[in-house]
Amino acid sequence: QGSPQMDALSRPTDLLKVDAQSIAQSPLANSSPVYQRCTINAIPQTPALMNKSRIPFGLLITPYRQLLAGDDPVPVINAPQVVRCRRCRTYINPWITFVDQGARWKCNLCFLTNDVPAFFDWDANQRTRLDRMKRPELNYGVVEFVAPQEYMVRPPQPVVMLFVIDVTYSAVQSGMVAVAAKAIRDSLDAIPNTDSRTKIGFITVDSSLHFYNLGAALTAPKMMVVGDLEDSFLPTPYDLLVSLVESRAVIDAFLERLPTMFAHTHETQLCFGKALKAAQKMIGPIGGKIIVLQHTLPNLDEGALKPREDTKVLGTPKEAALLQPAIDYYKNFAVDCSPMQVSLDVFLFNPQYADLATVSGCAKFTGGAVYYYPRFSAARAEDAIKFATELGHLLARPLGLEAVLRVRTTKGIKAKAFHGNFFMRSTDLLSLPNVSPDNSYAIEYEVVDTIATNMVCFQTSLLHTSSNGERRIRVLTLAIPVTTSLSEVFSTADQIALSALLAKKAVERALTSKIEDAREAVMYKLNEIIAVYRSAFAPNGPSSQLLLPENLKLLPVLMLALIKNLAFRQTNTIPSDLRSYMLSLLYAFSPELTVVNLYPRFWNVDMLYADEHIGHPGENGSIVFPPLLNLSSEKLDRKGMYLLENGLEMFLWVGKEANPELVSTLLGRPSVDAVPPGKTTLPTIDHPLNGRFRNLVDKIREERLLTGTRYPQLYVVREDGDPALRMWFLSHLVEDRFEQQLSYMQFVSGLRESVPK
Amino acid sequence: MSFEEIEDANGVRLSWNAWPTSRIEATRMVVPIGAMYTPLKEREGFQAFRCEPVTCKTCRGILNPCCQIDYNSKLWICPFCLQRNQFPPHYAEISPSQRPPEVLTEYMTIEYALPKPVGAPPVFLYVVDTCLEADDLEALRESLVVSLNLLPKTALVGLITFGTMVQVHELGFSECPKSYVFRGNKDYNSKQVQQMLGLAGGVAKPQQPVRPGQIPGQPQGAGSGVGRFLQPVAECEFTLTNILEQLQRDPWPVANDRRPLRCTGTALSVALGLLESAYFNGGTRIMTFAGGPCTEGPGLVLGHELREKPRSHHDLERDVAKHWKKATKFYESLAKRCTEKGFVVDIFAGCLDQIGLMEMKSMANMTNGNLLIADSFNTSVFKQSFNRLFVTDAEGFLKMGFGATLEVQTSRELKVCGLIGPAVSANKKTACVGETEIGISGTSAWKFGSITPRTSCAIYFEVAPQVQSFQPGTFGVIQFVTLYQHSSGFYRLRVTTVPRIWAEPSSPTIAASFDQEAAAVLMARIAAFKSEVDDGPDVLRWLDRMLIRLCQRFASFTKEDMNSFQLAPNFSIYPQFMFHLRRSQFLQVVNTSPDETTYYRHILNREDVNNSLIMIQPTLMSYSMETGVKPVLLDSVSMNNNVILLLDTYFHVLIWHGETVAAWRKAKYHENPTYFAFRDLLEMPKADARALLEERFPIPRYIETDQGGSQARFLLSKVNPSTTHQNAGEYGAGGGQAIPTDDVSLQVFMEHLKRLTVASG
Ligand SMILES: [Zn+2]
Ligand SMILES: [Zn+2]
Repeated sequence: QGSPQMDALSRPTDLLKVDAQSIAQSPLANSSPVYQRCTINAIPQTPALMNKSRIPFGLLITPYRQLLAGDDPVPVINAPQVVRCRRCRTYINPWITFVDQGARWKCNLCFLTNDVPAFFDWDANQRTRLDRMKRPELNYGVVEFVAPQEYMVRPPQPVVMLFVIDVTYSAVQSGMVAVAAKAIRDSLDAIPNTDSRTKIGFITVDSSLHFYNLGAALTAPKMMVVGDLEDSFLPTPYDLLVSLVESRAVIDAFLERLPTMFAHTHETQLCFGKALKAAQKMIGPIGGKIIVLQHTLPNLDEGALKPREDTKVLGTPKEAALLQPAIDYYKNFAVDCSPMQVSLDVFLFNPQYADLATVSGCAKFTGGAVYYYPRFSAARAEDAIKFATELGHLLARPLGLEAVLRVRTTKGIKAKAFHGNFFMRSTDLLSLPNVSPDNSYAIEYEVVDTIATNMVCFQTSLLHTSSNGERRIRVLTLAIPVTTSLSEVFSTADQIALSALLAKKAVERALTSKIEDAREAVMYKLNEIIAVYRSAFAPNGPSSQLLLPENLKLLPVLMLALIKNLAFRQTNTIPSDLRSYMLSLLYAFSPELTVVNLYPRFWNVDMLYADEHIGHPGENGSIVFPPLLNLSSEKLDRKGMYLLENGLEMFLWVGKEANPELVSTLLGRPSVDAVPPGKTTLPTIDHPLNGRFRNLVDKIREERLLTGTRYPQLYVVREDGDPALRMWFLSHLVEDRFEQQLSYMQFVSGLRESVPK
Repeated sequence: MSFEEIEDANGVRLSWNAWPTSRIEATRMVVPIGAMYTPLKEREGFQAFRCEPVTCKTCRGILNPCCQIDYNSKLWICPFCLQRNQFPPHYAEISPSQRPPEVLTEYMTIEYALPKPVGAPPVFLYVVDTCLEADDLEALRESLVVSLNLLPKTALVGLITFGTMVQVHELGFSECPKSYVFRGNKDYNSKQVQQMLGLAGGVAKPQQPVRPGQIPGQPQGAGSGVGRFLQPVAECEFTLTNILEQLQRDPWPVANDRRPLRCTGTALSVALGLLESAYFNGGTRIMTFAGGPCTEGPGLVLGHELREKPRSHHDLERDVAKHWKKATKFYESLAKRCTEKGFVVDIFAGCLDQIGLMEMKSMANMTNGNLLIADSFNTSVFKQSFNRLFVTDAEGFLKMGFGATLEVQTSRELKVCGLIGPAVSANKKTACVGETEIGISGTSAWKFGSITPRTSCAIYFEVAPQVQSFQPGTFGVIQFVTLYQHSSGFYRLRVTTVPRIWAEPSSPTIAASFDQEAAAVLMARIAAFKSEVDDGPDVLRWLDRMLIRLCQRFASFTKEDMNSFQLAPNFSIYPQFMFHLRRSQFLQVVNTSPDETTYYRHILNREDVNNSLIMIQPTLMSYSMETGVKPVLLDSVSMNNNVILLLDTYFHVLIWHGETVAAWRKAKYHENPTYFAFRDLLEMPKADARALLEERFPIPRYIETDQGGSQARFLLSKVNPSTTHQNAGEYGAGGGQAIPTDDVSLQVFMEHLKRLTVASG
């Protein structure tokens, strides 16, 4: 009893040992959970058993995740042939078996026997025998095949990046345009371009569309303004999308001038829809990425939006309407883009209402993402750095183009729902014009027939063009044993995967129904799971005990955190844009990032004194962090300083009587009173504590860039400072009572009472 | 004074220099009373007076040497309305010995430099086709860059380029070349153009606070408004030169069986939209450079499939030219907008084929713009002609006026019938307006978008039906008053007063006052004007009828006796002018494209008597060792083996070497010092040709050819076919060359004329 033991989050889930059953008995025969994880790690053999457990059965896939420090690279296989089952097209994997003295292999999904190709045993070039058991596709649950010609309907798509930049008065005044120009320019060398085919282009937009001829022969860019919105058109057939290599000088010249080009603008109208259509026209024939930077609410021509937020409806059932698109324009546009292999990433800076719920549609259905910077001002260095870093990372990170994702499974189980940012091209094919390293997808399954085997396999294949111009297939294979035991189903359940799946389902519920319904659904599911467990395993146990197996012990606190999250919290103070934004994030976040966002990481900074290792490098490129604290204000000592991180922001809590030495070495201020609250850039001070603390902050930022393309701001929160900031910080302490929401203790006792015996 | 001397002094030449006191008699004179008038005719030592003219308080006629003046009571009597006008106070000192200059006979033509400033510099908007071959575009680009140096530094310039689309270039943008792009295939109205250029008013207020010193929604300096597109040469020369130097060919791909998409019509329409956004008081030239026909959008004159051929005169006659009506209507609507605002449109065609001048002509013809046909922009015809537009006077002012109005006052016995020239009616119906309509009629004032010292117009008059004070021996008076914007930036008023004597209807004075050259040109203008609307053969029949009637009235002959036919010297070459006029490119369209016809008529419509005569009846000079240099008959008999001929048709200057001369030249005799005379002979016509090219606008095409050479056809088509393949030998004694033609010769023509005259006389 008492606080939840949060360190369980970092422990691996208890799994039934299956490695030895793989063909090569490899310890890496299963894909790592960071690529692909299942909510349960023992699959009920029958629909009845599955149904009895009440645990949602889902697979969470983060197929293109970026490698973190210490991660193994994905083996790349460039074989003469990609070996697949003739019938079900499964890729050969560590879970097949060899039959007929190894002459044939038996598919682990459909059990058809297939010929083993000669190159598995014989290297024709070297004229030597090979040990097939060493082949990576038989050893690794995550591999990448270089696809041969037949996997291409056309030559692999080059990397194409087209920027659509709002240059209305407010956009220019905010400094967004200048920062964007600088960030893009600084990133030009980092944009993937190994094959020198990368193309780049720009549209700036206000009440007209501005195109730029960046032909390599020019000494300066040529700007072409199209004010005819009635029939928008491209002003020239060439040189709008140009080779990053050949036109580099002109691109540089353009970006150098962009900040001043609109310095005197008075435009307040934004024909954003038309800009998107023009961008589509430019990029559609090739495919690629459209990066949208928008400050003003689209207010001209098609796609125009109206400020529709009424603060009176926040926190009421009527809020639901604000979370749904006002018009279908952006969704329809995105659906048009999908078959053209065009993906959109949207950066929103609107100082007032952005109608994120509507505009984000163009990212959602093309596999893109939304980045939101409310109250952005480039005059604040922290804002400029955050935006520039995130944009820079987006441009530089690996890019999987013209991708499709399909998951094959053993007979007996069937997909019933898909969640994530993509467009369903057919019943089981997810179309991802670009596959983002940050995005996670969830597929819900049901057991439809008694499973005949002792193992269920999930094989995810992601056919894509990598940013080096190769057509590749990333294959993730996960084998999970089949069980007849409800106990095993419960004891192998993955609370991280489960929380992520329930979060994504809750997002969908909130968007299609109401936030209240989403919260209720979460509570209902939690109650149901607890009830099943209790009635099955402790029908007579003491009612004072909340019964869940070890591996699900954190489910209640995570669900409490979920309904307290900005996305779902019962309150009338969250603007609908922020609500939409959080919903969109949770919908795409990986399970690991979801959990951090629900239950932020929280450390006592004073521990720097107690443990020499903290803030210094640990194993495998890590940094040693202080022990995690439970998210409870009990932990806050008025003499202490605390760091909290939720995947998006960081907070440094400074107690009223915080250690002056720590205040001065970390923040460069003589006393707590002299510390300005709010966004802060840490000073570099020649003191070991300073460096060690910054290592922590930097490490968090590094990971967040890699896992979510987010550069968390650091907010300094003084215990006796700005009340709003303080409340924001305290809202993260999910074990506490906050506003009308229950504390963890209240929540748990409520569960005990509500769950029927 | 000879007619030429009068013309030199006043820029005016009349068909009749004495007028009958009877309307009936006036109509019997066949050739109407008309004036060829060059309002801004240049004159040696001519000075403008810096003062306001004295005007009649009733009819606004201007004090002139024909006014009766009462020095005692300081009154003058208006010769047009007979109003007695008081002289203004500052004329208090005048007396018979101290007469104001405007009443002196040497000031029959006087120019007033009015103190009223125009208040705005002129605008030159270049509208440039980019569907050109690379070298052609390069040449055009160079000419345009050079022209920037020829413009007054304060003049506003702008640039629009077009091809598949239209680009309006912003000149006030320092960051990079910037243009506004319009679809080529769309008919934009003025308001749309202005909105898309960001020139429409009513900019919404920014939502955010504004920095001090900034006025949201208000145009500021060069950063906004039309000033972004039209800037003083001095300010934008660098930017504009830069844009021109970076100008690229239209980038849109063209299939092998297609013509490039060229949206000339839309470009002009956008240009107008731009110019209409502001009030340009100082005169505005839209200079259009087209390398081919409009194949896209409104104003399309030719489909873009190559298998479609440009319309010919034949197609037009059969009414199968599918675009021309629509296109003509479109350009006429643009022309109308131009005349309303006083814009001038020049069209320079740099193309071997037609570009649709016939459809577009109204824009130049109604605004007194220039039309020019050159084979490409990379020819001296274009380059030099274009440069010559920007000639300046001794003070360095462009010889180019804008916004001119020519008004005519007549004494009440005379009425004005109309004007034929590059103008539009100013719709001024005064008492001077007569009943008969010739040319642009129903008004006594006309507007010219632009006016130069060369601009000449034909103005026609009639004798009023009922007049009280019709005293033979008194003078009738015409006054031409031209108000225009001089390129010094001030208004000027040019006044020419033309008094002519009233004669008894039967008086020989009338016949003796006939100026056959002026008459020929006045009739040519009417014929060309009629040809624009009437059938060709109808116009020829009309000309013949007029000529026969003139001869019947003024020739002396005995009825039915051809040999008795005689014309006075001042009538004698008139039939010959008519003969050549009938055969000229103005009235004959065989082997001429509609564009060429348009171009020739356009030039005829604005040149003075001398130049027009050359066009009607080209001049031919002969150079030979034996007879030296002399003018010879424009006749095939002049085409001898041993001569060099220099033909000047105004549009072409051709040097023709007879067979023998050509043979000597081929044998390089002229390089042999012993034959220096031959060398000189070869050089002489060339020097003369150069002198002709020197003074012309547009520059004629210069051709050198030999007898039998293919280019010799230009000469063959002009000479009188006295020696044809049919009658070779008849006049053969004098040599000459047989012309392969079925045309009648001058001799045959004269025979017919005489026969018809004496038959019904
Ligand atoms: Zn299979
Ligand atoms: Zn009067």
